[in-house]
Amino acid sequence: MIEFKDVSKSFKGFVAVKDVTCEIRDGEIFGLLGPNGAGKTTLIMTMATVYRPSKGEVVVNGHSASAEPDSVKSLIGISFQDPKYDRILSAREILEWHGKVTGVEKPLRDKRIDEVLEKFGLTAEAKKRTWTLSGGTKKKIENAKVFVQRPKIAVFDEPTAYLDVPSRLMVWDMIDELRDEGSTVVLATNMMDEADRMSDRVGIMNRGEMVQVGDPTKLKGSLRGRDVIEMKLDVPISELAGEVSKVEEVREARFEGDTLKIVLSNGRGLLPHMINVVTAKGGKVQSVNLKEPSLEDVFLYYTGMKLS
Amino acid sequence: MSEKPSTLFVIWALIERDLRTLVKSPFILINRTIFFLIQLFVFAFLVSKLASSLGFNYFEFYSVGAVVSTITSIAFIIGEDLFEEEELGLLDYLLSLPFGHSLFVIGRALGGAVRGLIYVTPMMVLVAYVDGYFSPVGIAGSLLVVFVLATGISGLSITLAMMIRNANRFDIVIALAELATVRVSAAIYPLAYMPKVLQPVAAYSPVTSASDIVRAIFLPGYSAGIYETVVLVLFVAIFFGLGSAFLFRKIEGGRFE
Repeated sequence: MIEFKDVSKSFKGFVAVKDVTCEIRDGEIFGLLGPNGAGKTTLIMTMATVYRPSKGEVVVNGHSASAEPDSVKSLIGISFQDPKYDRILSAREILEWHGKVTGVEKPLRDKRIDEVLEKFGLTAEAKKRTWTLSGGTKKKIENAKVFVQRPKIAVFDEPTAYLDVPSRLMVWDMIDELRDEGSTVVLATNMMDEADRMSDRVGIMNRGEMVQVGDPTKLKGSLRGRDVIEMKLDVPISELAGEVSKVEEVREARFEGDTLKIVLSNGRGLLPHMINVVTAKGGKVQSVNLKEPSLEDVFLYYTGMKLS
Repeated sequence: MSEKPSTLFVIWALIERDLRTLVKSPFILINRTIFFLIQLFVFAFLVSKLASSLGFNYFEFYSVGAVVSTITSIAFIIGEDLFEEEELGLLDYLLSLPFGHSLFVIGRALGGAVRGLIYVTPMMVLVAYVDGYFSPVGIAGSLLVVFVLATGISGLSITLAMMIRNANRFDIVIALAELATVRVSAAIYPLAYMPKVLQPVAAYSPVTSASDIVRAIFLPGYSAGIYETVVLVLFVAIFFGLGSAFLFRKIEGGRFE
């Protein structure tokens, strides 16, 4: 388990992380959400012992990151947001050195490097100097370091930035696989679909603070009264808006053209009832659309700002 | 899951990384090799003829100094590497790896010296050959001397890299430091022919000491002893310690942010 206990980190007066307290459980994928500059990377670096907290403590599997940094570092592998390796070296050399220095035995290292290079379609480019490769390929190599290491705690900072769709799906599968083998995964991202799809729990950071932690489904469900049902009718009937507004969970109902827009709680559960109310009053429903809050809405709700 | 690597293994891995990046920069290697060969067989050869009236063999004198100057230049690269690694954020990666910060510092300083040593070994053998010196033990001893010098120069270079934050300023300072270290020494000309104001400074230069010791090994008529050894060892102790302390302090203090 990773415990952040009232952790703050300042750089010459600038507070990058402020009073963060949260836990990351063993074997979970923890999505760390926030816009650029929210403090995600600084929090990760504090956990990885690269930065010493200005205040508070990070405890990783019972080891204090400040007092026992070597024990903590031996548990962690990081895939950085921007690829960080010697670009004069080839992918194979980078992975070979990373595996070696993180203690992966030679036969296993070779096997994993071959597997990862093949999965990423990099076998043919494995001997090229990495500075000659595309941004997406460089990012794959950065991710590949962690997949070769297979650490107890794997940290991915924006793992699918610069990647095409097939590569994103591949990385997601590989992260899932890593977790299934027993690794805890910290996934820092500002891509909501990625966080929603991958994370068991998410932590939302904004301006250095951890503003909310929880299960994505529950967090979305916590935004009561923000579901929207859009019912397109063949002919708009003005009194229908008043009729559906009588239902307790409905916050607002109005016509936009020939579409009745209903803002309510528990939209999924009440959808059949809403259709019944409309049809009972003579409305002929042509199509129905249900919109539920997304993780982005959750972020917007807790931070008051959009991610992008 | 993986096992934590041993201390020696980590130091070797850090040195190996420095060697790999050096080998992957053939332009630098070729450039410095050509420079060395031209200096030795064109410059030193010609100046030797001009200086023959002074009563000593300048070619022999210079040949040793050229090797010492070359390893000094190469040892300075480690500071540039660290500076660049900090700018590129590569240091974050290196510091996140499973070994202590102090081990990292030792590995980098030694890496700078080892790659310098590997690079100048063929030059040292060539110089021994052209100077007519064939003792393997003596050649090994001279390599040890330049390795010790390179360790101190690596420390000096790391110290400068840690003290200066602006890239342009760092480039200028490192170039001047390299120039001063080599030129204000008896590496490429005898102390007696230097401007009087520089002679006392050059006499305390570790580059002078290393050059004198290697000349004493290779060439008849030259001598070196305790004084040169003490200057060299003191220089190494001060700057290896200082470089390590600066790097360690700035890592621990969170400078690399």
